[in-house]
Amino acid sequence: MNNKDSLFNEKKLDRRDFFRKTAVLSATVLAGTSIFAADDPAILEEPEWATKWGDPVITNMYGVPSKYEHNVTRRSTELLSSGNFRASIAVTPIHESKGIITPNGLFFSRSHGGTAHIDPNEYRLMIHGLVKNPIVLTLAELKRYPSVTRTHFIECPANGGQEWRAPQFNSLQFAKGFMASAEWTGVYIKTILEDLDIKPEAQWMLAEGGDSSKMGRTVPMDKVLDDAMLVWGQNGEALRPEQGYPVRLLLPGWEGNLCVKWLRRLEFAAEPWYCKEETAKYTALKPNGKAIQHFYANEVNSTVVSPSPEIPWTDLKDGAVVEIEGLAWSGMGTITGVDFSLDGGKTYVQAELKGLVLPKSWTRWSYIHTYKKGEKLLLTSRAMDDAGYIQPTVDQETSVMGVESVYHRNGVETWEVTETGEVTHVQIRS
Amino acid sequence: MYKLDRKLILSASAIAAAMLLSAVSANGATETKSTAKPSIDGGVYYPVVNGKTGPYSVNTKAIGKKLNHGRVPTANELKAWNTDVMPDGTGLPEGSGSASDGSDIYDAKCVMCHGDFGSGGAGYPSLTKGNAYTLKGSLKSQRSQDGAEGPVRVFGTYWPRASSLWWYIKDAMPHQSTGTLTVDETYALTAYILQLNEIKIDNILVDSDYVLDRAKFLKISMPNKDGFEPNIDGPKSLPGIRAYYAKASNFGGQKVKPSERCMTNCQKPTAKIVRIQNGGIKEFVPPMATARDLPKEEAKGFDAKTAYEVNCAACHANSSMGAPAIGDKKAWATVTQKGMEAVYKNGNNGINGMPAKGGSSLSDADFKTVVDYIVNTSK
Repeated sequence: MNNKDSLFNEKKLDRRDFFRKTAVLSATVLAGTSIFAADDPAILEEPEWATKWGDPVITNMYGVPSKYEHNVTRRSTELLSSGNFRASIAVTPIHESKGIITPNGLFFSRSHGGTAHIDPNEYRLMIHGLVKNPIVLTLAELKRYPSVTRTHFIECPANGGQEWRAPQFNSLQFAKGFMASAEWTGVYIKTILEDLDIKPEAQWMLAEGGDSSKMGRTVPMDKVLDDAMLVWGQNGEALRPEQGYPVRLLLPGWEGNLCVKWLRRLEFAAEPWYCKEETAKYTALKPNGKAIQHFYANEVNSTVVSPSPEIPWTDLKDGAVVEIEGLAWSGMGTITGVDFSLDGGKTYVQAELKGLVLPKSWTRWSYIHTYKKGEKLLLTSRAMDDAGYIQPTVDQETSVMGVESVYHRNGVETWEVTETGEVTHVQIRS
Repeated sequence: MYKLDRKLILSASAIAAAMLLSAVSANGATETKSTAKPSIDGGVYYPVVNGKTGPYSVNTKAIGKKLNHGRVPTANELKAWNTDVMPDGTGLPEGSGSASDGSDIYDAKCVMCHGDFGSGGAGYPSLTKGNAYTLKGSLKSQRSQDGAEGPVRVFGTYWPRASSLWWYIKDAMPHQSTGTLTVDETYALTAYILQLNEIKIDNILVDSDYVLDRAKFLKISMPNKDGFEPNIDGPKSLPGIRAYYAKASNFGGQKVKPSERCMTNCQKPTAKIVRIQNGGIKEFVPPMATARDLPKEEAKGFDAKTAYEVNCAACHANSSMGAPAIGDKKAWATVTQKGMEAVYKNGNNGINGMPAKGGSSLSDADFKTVVDYIVNTSK
């Protein structure tokens, strides 16, 4: 390949040379082969899989990924863990993500008392409080309600929360992987409420888990009567234990912590509960000493996915045309556009949206770039949603929220591409 | 449409109707109309219109019907699960406990994670940093500069309501065996944590002799009770929350008409690149890798490392549980100074807080292998 490159790099070509070499090149292009490259044994030598039997079809009756994909995995870090990984996180390899669906085995997972393994036969859901008819449902009974299927991301509001003061993770997985996306199947809570006759003074719903942490959160009736769901299906199969098998709450677009897993109880009341996870945590402290509580929706956000610190451009050829690709998402609505910058947010151009563009869902975006070997770039994306929001700059966001709020950081992210094609996580600040 | 309460339906429909105005405007790049009643989170409400909500088709015949599934819970079932405690005392049972009793329970059941006197440790939260009334002032601190002290967000300085603590201790502590504390033990532990935070109830400082009961508990006024926004209390709180999230500047949001967003010269001349300091955080489990290679052949048969993780790591992963931590050369040098046979014997029989074989069902030979693994890893 270097030989071919040198054709174009040679400064002095006399006319005859030029025609001769161009002729060779044209012939090469026409034939679709390179006369300069060495023969590739991956093509010339037949590997075992090309000549021997593969596995019987009854191997892996529940399929597993190729053994070569073993590095595509959730990861954790002790820094963000307590309880010997029982009150901890396992983050999604966003740098390996495709489309707008996360495989169930790679779905972001957070637990407060470890992953519970609930026997579905002994699963019960109790709904009571300010209702005329409190009920207990078995799993089979719950699944008899008319169901809906929706594609939504679930994002921890602490996604990116380690980087209010400066970038800390040279990794897309850890910088933005506190989220994942799936197609969920379940029932709208408002459908079940038909059977309960909710009382007019009910303003709030408590959702409580049945795992050892009894994680609870208070949800306002607005969301309950809008798109709040109880889900049992994830990408066409049962929820994984890490996602709250057999049933979790799904509040599309809202903090992942509100989407209570291993759900066992819903209660309605006139006043909120002040659960531990909506006071001690999941509240965003501002510089004036006041903290935002009940901070529901994850705001409009985006990131460059390819390239990433994990999968950089060190192998890119000069002149290669490459797709810069990313994700955009908003818990407040639908992505309406993504702007993209090669200079860290000084100048933006419009990127293209790709594939399905759904409310409160991951949305793919794309920008086609011709790579110059040795060029230095600052890749920044900036998304907008139909609620009218646009991602703030790092300065805009910290000017309001300070650097201590932990949660709900959605300022633009920047990848620095170095001369050698390495990609590192940086921030642009004034 | 719904057989839900009329008032609820009306307010929900009003939002739907108002938002419909903005939902139908051109090509999705909408700005929220000023006439629209805001959705509670500041976002877009997608009503069901012509059988669709957003891009999804809906079976509207499933809406508004009684479906008649399930059964009524019994009184005992409600009592068993309805254990939450609200700020007004709903759900808080009668009982009592002293701070000194709480201190004893703490030393038996809590100190291994939360540290001496609630000082925290091993990733578990601190329960105090000292006088809550004084330290509450730190909530305005920002670590914008290197070396600056940050805000202290512990129970005493930060939590707005004491009921959150009582309920959390009763239902979710101790972490490894939740729901095992009695009502009186919970009062005692609460009293002890109040003491550690130097909290006053009715102007009386909670000291070790203080006996907390339900009546006194309901008089607790947390130092940071007014430190949160938006207001969520009272019958008018939901409209207040809607108004709060309708204003982007309250929470650092940026609203802009798409046609007016900055496309060129969007940075101040002072803009600079901030890079990761000192290599950043990269201690990942498992380590970061993207190669498509074959996984390392797993050791056949007994694997001491896995056995360690399953049976021993809960206490030996770090020193917070009082056990010698794996990798702590000094600690293990002390343990092994009387020779390995003594170490095997102590481990087999149990020593200090450690049950026989760490409570595992490992064979003698396998247990020895695991001990060797820990000792060798700690040299």
